[in-house]
Amino acid sequence: MVYTYDSILNFINFHTDVMSNAYYPFENFNLPYAVSYGLWEIIGGAIAWLINLIFPGNCVSEWLVSDGASTLFALIIFMLIVFIVVFVVTLISLWMERKFLGRMMDRRGTMVGMKGFLQCVADGLKTFMKENTIPGKVDRMTYMWTVSLVIGVSVLVCCMVPLSGRWYVVDYDTGLLIIMAFFALAPFFILVSGWAQNNKYSLIGGMRAAELMISYEVPMLIMIATTALLAGSFNIGDIVYAQNDTVWYLIPQIIGFITFFFCATAESERLPFDIAEAEAELVEGWQTEYAGMKWGLIMLADYFRGYVACAMVTIMYLGGWTLPFIGDGPIPEIVFLLKTWFVFFLMILVRAALARVRPDQILNIGWKVFMPLSVINLAVVLLLKVGGVF
Amino acid sequence: MTMKYLDKYPKNLAKSLWVLKPQWAVFKLFCKNIIHRPVTVLYPYEKEWVPENYRGRPGLRYDKCVGCGMCARMCPTACIKIVDSVDDEGKTVKRPQVNMGRCAMCGYCAEYCPVDAMTVTPEYEIAEYTRFDLLYGPRRLNYEGTTEGMEVKLEVTLPSDIANGNPERRVSLFDLDRPELIDSKCIGCKKCAKVCPVNAIEMVEKGTNEKTGKPILRPVIDNSKCICCSNCVDDCPKDALEIKEVL
Repeated sequence: MVYTYDSILNFINFHTDVMSNAYYPFENFNLPYAVSYGLWEIIGGAIAWLINLIFPGNCVSEWLVSDGASTLFALIIFMLIVFIVVFVVTLISLWMERKFLGRMMDRRGTMVGMKGFLQCVADGLKTFMKENTIPGKVDRMTYMWTVSLVIGVSVLVCCMVPLSGRWYVVDYDTGLLIIMAFFALAPFFILVSGWAQNNKYSLIGGMRAAELMISYEVPMLIMIATTALLAGSFNIGDIVYAQNDTVWYLIPQIIGFITFFFCATAESERLPFDIAEAEAELVEGWQTEYAGMKWGLIMLADYFRGYVACAMVTIMYLGGWTLPFIGDGPIPEIVFLLKTWFVFFLMILVRAALARVRPDQILNIGWKVFMPLSVINLAVVLLLKVGGVF
Repeated sequence: MTMKYLDKYPKNLAKSLWVLKPQWAVFKLFCKNIIHRPVTVLYPYEKEWVPENYRGRPGLRYDKCVGCGMCARMCPTACIKIVDSVDDEGKTVKRPQVNMGRCAMCGYCAEYCPVDAMTVTPEYEIAEYTRFDLLYGPRRLNYEGTTEGMEVKLEVTLPSDIANGNPERRVSLFDLDRPELIDSKCIGCKKCAKVCPVNAIEMVEKGTNEKTGKPILRPVIDNSKCICCSNCVDDCPKDALEIKEVL
């Protein structure tokens, strides 16, 4: 057996262009994918070199750095990167809510480390250390499945929100519709989950979630259709660049912006529309019987949904990741996140100022206020479109 | 039908803009708190200012105390006990011991102390791990840095002064009453002179007993020294002393 020493640089070929890979899964340049591809070139090349040191000239080393395997592992790292970024963004929103809410109530908010940011981490760790109890008389299959689906759908939908023209997971022509469809799935699971828990508070919470959904969903979809009509596309990138070409849709659709903002608040089940988990009336609403890690993940999913709601407002009315007169700019992701956090700040303001609405009031507001307003908004947009302004 | 439906809307739509009012109030408070600090205090690290006459745990000026037991008598929760203690000169003296587990921080002991040896202090962090640790002996009760504001004076305005048009005059409660001897009951046992904490009682010879030939002793009370602790009244075996108002 002939001992041959291969340099590690034979396996790490860092000069390859991502787009030139035969299995490149996107049409345009994708920043997180490029980062993860580069990462895999280093990690995979090092692993291949190590294996080659022990078993010289084997096929596994060659496979690890081949085009197909690189794409496969790069996609796995890509998923991690996208999720971690969204996770951190959501944690920052969570910190923002607690700190700002504290200031609005004339107190200090969270105080543990890094201006209180580490309190979120500490709370997460705490929920993970709790005992994972399941009550004896629940319907186990639906109990576990529904909570998994609620969390899973929330994570999925928040990963699908693009941060910029180069930071996306899917670039469908119906991106807005798909996001809203997944976004609107959770109330069904909440309803089933409320029934499965065998608890009156959970059942009432689930019923209220369904009631909440039938009140805000229709005007919300009308306003999404209005925006798509104005932009001429359901593709998120097209909507954003259409706003960059003309003007932020906040100006022609100011009624729509306000209505959609409140609809989005209701969609993410935040105060003042959190009737499904009203701590004051129902113990914890539909989350009553979930303990420990499950409850922590549900809480996290709530904030994922809040982030998505803010991101939708940003995309549809605030020009997404573009700035007026500048366009994309050097770091469109940061611009997008700043706008999202501004919308989240407005949500916190509404939460701090207003009391929770009654279940009968939310139906009234949904059908008698939001619905006519969204139709008026649609009429305004139709006039503008027919008049040739846009 | 349509009009009936529309009637349910508010007549003046601008009135429903009240929703903006609380949001504006919250936003103002938020801006104020971003610049200034919130009102809450991080307790173990920061402390609120306490006034000088804050009624925290009772404190004792060991050297000033005369051991009269007034504080123990007046304590509403009976947490004060008079114990023997050794002072700086090696003599055994009577001093109060306070059980902080029972103390209600009412400050009566400081109020009724005739020599202002008992004071209130601004100390309020007195948690301990065991109940025994809550017993404050005379030395531990001693508080350095007692200021004038910590003394609690007990003064009254006399009704006679108000009637005479002199309502500003304040009289210490300990100058109002003095013990008075009922001569026929006294047996001259000298007990009152022994229990007097300020040595205000002196036994004076008033003639000789005709049967035994021994001297007849009677207590004479020095009103300027007396602090009206009524120890002599309590300890008199024949109830020959009683408290009388003198002012």
